[in-house]
Amino acid sequence: MSVVETGRPTTPQEDADWSTSQVVLTNLRAIGGRAYPRITGLMREKSWVFFEILLPLLATSAFVFVYRALQAPAQYIGFVVIGGAMVAFWLNVIWMMASQLWWEKSQGNLELYFAAPMSIMSVLFGMAVGGMVMSSSRAVVVLAVASVVYDVQFAVDQWALLLAVFFLTLAALYGLGMMLASLFVMWGREAFHLTQLLTEPIYFVSGLNFPVARLGILGSLALGTIPLAVGLDAMRQLAFATAAFPVGTPEPAVEALILVAMTIAFLGASRLMLATMERLARKEGRLSVRWQ
Amino acid sequence: MTLFHGVKNACYPAKLLNDRLPGISMPTTPVASAIEARGLRRIYKVKPAPVVALDGVDLDVASGEFFGLLGPNGAGKTTLIKILTTLLLPSEGTARIFGFDVAREEKRIRRIMNMVAGGEQSGYGILTVREQLWMFSQFYGLPRADGWRRVDELIDAVGMGDERLQRVSTLSTGQRQKMNFARGLLNDPWILFLDEPTLGLDVAAARQVRELVTAWKAAVPGRTVLLTTHYMAEADELCERIAIVDRGRILAIGTPAELKKRVQRESIFRLELDRLEGGPAALARVPGVVSAAPTAGDGGPVDRQTVAVNLVLVDDGALGGVVGALGDLGSHILALRKSEPSLEDVFVELVGRGFEAEVA
Amino acid sequence: MTTTGGLDAPAWGGFDPARAERDRSGRWPAFLTSVRLGWQVEANWTDPFLFFIYSVAKPLSATLILVVMIDIISGGGAGPYRAFVVVGTALWSIVLSGLSGLAWTILDDRERYRMLKYVYVSPSDFLMHLVGRSIARLAVGVMGAIITIIIGVLLLGVPISLEKVDVPLLLADIVGGLWVILAIGTVLGAVSLQTRQESWQYPEAMAGALFLISGAVFPLSVLPAPMQAVGLAGPLTWWIEGFRHAVFPGGPSGVGGPGSVWEGVTGTAAPDPAIIVGALLATGALVTLAAIGVFRVSERRAKERGLLDQTTGS
Repeated sequence: MSVVETGRPTTPQEDADWSTSQVVLTNLRAIGGRAYPRITGLMREKSWVFFEILLPLLATSAFVFVYRALQAPAQYIGFVVIGGAMVAFWLNVIWMMASQLWWEKSQGNLELYFAAPMSIMSVLFGMAVGGMVMSSSRAVVVLAVASVVYDVQFAVDQWALLLAVFFLTLAALYGLGMMLASLFVMWGREAFHLTQLLTEPIYFVSGLNFPVARLGILGSLALGTIPLAVGLDAMRQLAFATAAFPVGTPEPAVEALILVAMTIAFLGASRLMLATMERLARKEGRLSVRWQ
Repeated sequence: MTLFHGVKNACYPAKLLNDRLPGISMPTTPVASAIEARGLRRIYKVKPAPVVALDGVDLDVASGEFFGLLGPNGAGKTTLIKILTTLLLPSEGTARIFGFDVAREEKRIRRIMNMVAGGEQSGYGILTVREQLWMFSQFYGLPRADGWRRVDELIDAVGMGDERLQRVSTLSTGQRQKMNFARGLLNDPWILFLDEPTLGLDVAAARQVRELVTAWKAAVPGRTVLLTTHYMAEADELCERIAIVDRGRILAIGTPAELKKRVQRESIFRLELDRLEGGPAALARVPGVVSAAPTAGDGGPVDRQTVAVNLVLVDDGALGGVVGALGDLGSHILALRKSEPSLEDVFVELVGRGFEAEVA
Repeated sequence: MTTTGGLDAPAWGGFDPARAERDRSGRWPAFLTSVRLGWQVEANWTDPFLFFIYSVAKPLSATLILVVMIDIISGGGAGPYRAFVVVGTALWSIVLSGLSGLAWTILDDRERYRMLKYVYVSPSDFLMHLVGRSIARLAVGVMGAIITIIIGVLLLGVPISLEKVDVPLLLADIVGGLWVILAIGTVLGAVSLQTRQESWQYPEAMAGALFLISGAVFPLSVLPAPMQAVGLAGPLTWWIEGFRHAVFPGGPSGVGGPGSVWEGVTGTAAPDPAIIVGALLATGALVTLAAIGVFRVSERRAKERGLLDQTTGS
């Protein structure tokens, strides 16, 4: 019987010829499939509640007390709180996404992923989605508890833009994470240690605890390249609309457009880099070399 | 076993012939070869010196064939299978899977093949067997509910019903391999690559895996299997054709019988007779008999008077003359067994010849 | 007698069931081997230039975050608080390295190299092996701290004068502090034996939390009284205080000061060196005992549940 009558491919060539909808569906299912073990792992082993939510709240509090020791204006406490909330997503990108393909190679799963028909971007996105349970929980707890405990007064005029900026920041961050993932597979352990360089140095140039405008040219560079810097600055301007801000950074609407451009650029670059990474890895036989 | 019949309608929506990716043209007639490799070379650039893992491999495997790659460790079997499963690019040469180029059309190949390697420790320890397999079903695009159903069917088929809710990190080696095998069948592949699938398994577990492979292949005509192994008996038992590989080259290809014939130029039989007047020397005079010699008894009861003879003939046809001569001598044949060289004999002969040629 | 080459009894005597009963003088060579292994694992992944950047960029960035925060509010200039913060954050890089040492060694060996079980069944002491393995990471942290302080002195106006440094206090403080950091790292190692592979971030989270109550970047007097009391019970507080007292005699105290619990209880503005060393030793001893106890409990639980050779990726 023909394919039309039965829906069954009768030759391997027909079976290999997938429609666009089939490709899209497979990749969507792959996202869900890969998010599943991460979410399941969080539910089955709950130490992260203490280490990834409660302890970071204390770490954020440390910077709050630095400003209190300096008798800084109240809005700076708010800056630290927003920074403490958003850093959860950055850490999710670095640890749960960028370095994860390298971990998968170490465990022998990377080969199986590449031998399957879905896109590796779906796998990465699934990892990020799965890790978002933890990141979101951390962000919400830090934002809510710290705001109440330290009496942070938000003044939001444009809720829609604030939410848009938040989601655009996440999109750009995850695009960047995908780009980094491809580098990590190729560079091996060097890239793994580079995750350390992506913490404090990025916190510094992104203005995690202070307005990035204070960094002058360095801050401007950060606003053009690091989604965390742009997103934080825009969200602070929108969350504390009545506060006085140092001049030197664009309006939130412009920063939202920067985030859109970053998202498109990073996702496009990551697609290219992942394809290049795969080709190089296949050429050099690195998909299954573990002790790199 | 219904699960081993194609379930493609459960996996994919009904398609129209014109509902396909743009720019793709389908061949009008199916390509005969499941695997076609020409001049494959693979060089690893490692220190202190590059390693030539494959050195000009040509291979043809027909659709529906159970093909084996037999060779020692370091022969290049895994390198070849990695190239064919699109995980590795060849340094030179080409390879096609059902007509699709492994270097440029890897996406299509991945939709119709799967692979299982022996000694695999991959997987997420925190998941159960069922969850682990379902996750992979999603990578192959199975709808959610279909995925769970297929996973449950496969778990039963491989005999892991009792372990379905057990965490992967608690499985024994044999159980893990059965789970890996189930993973390899999730997408009902047209071609299944098995890279030393019984590596590290005990006798019973290895037998179970071999039985599963055989049953799966037999269930639907057209399924192709490429097996790599260094276990001679496994290749002999499972494979319709075998390629003997060593140092990146194929030394010989053929059915097990053909390969054994290469090294056996005579027919060897072991006879057990109730009596033999004149002893084995009486048979040595029969035309076509190269030699006849007594051989050790089979350890039977001491009061049983049997004569065991090792008989070497020019070919099987000479056996008729021997039987006739035995009749004339008044002997009755109690047992007759043909001795064949093993694949190990074949390999030793081939590798020895190849090694000498290299040294020379 | 036919010899079988390498299968014969070796020249040093070979199999001897009494060996297990003899003294454990082999512990020290095993520990040194672990140290060497840790160094090779840490140092072989890149060239010296990148390795140097790794030892500089992270601690220096952490320091600059605080320096900028101070400058924003105080309008710039090298006040005593800036020196306070530079030293605190420089030392904190050692804390982070030390805390992650044992934890990451366990995760690495268990999940990636799959060697943990083989190390465990060897005769060498498991905890000593882990400590040895983490020495290299600790050394990287120390290197980063030294570089940060040097940059602080040269570029950030940190007023360390070599003639005024209290060397005996400094040496005692450094030894005590490194010991304490390894002890706290042991607690995190114990946690890692029980947790999933994704617990890589736990040392950083723990370091961040301790950052709040250790007087690293602000005096404890800024905190509410109960939190000050918790900080005073922590050995890291006394370690950082001792270091500051050694390099800035008479400088701002992280423990004392106006409004502090210390001043309220003792009547003195800041502790003197003898009290600092004594408090460091006392709190350090308590933490060490607790850490060893926690580790042994965790080890036993890991054995009971078969966690030593599990892989837990998700």
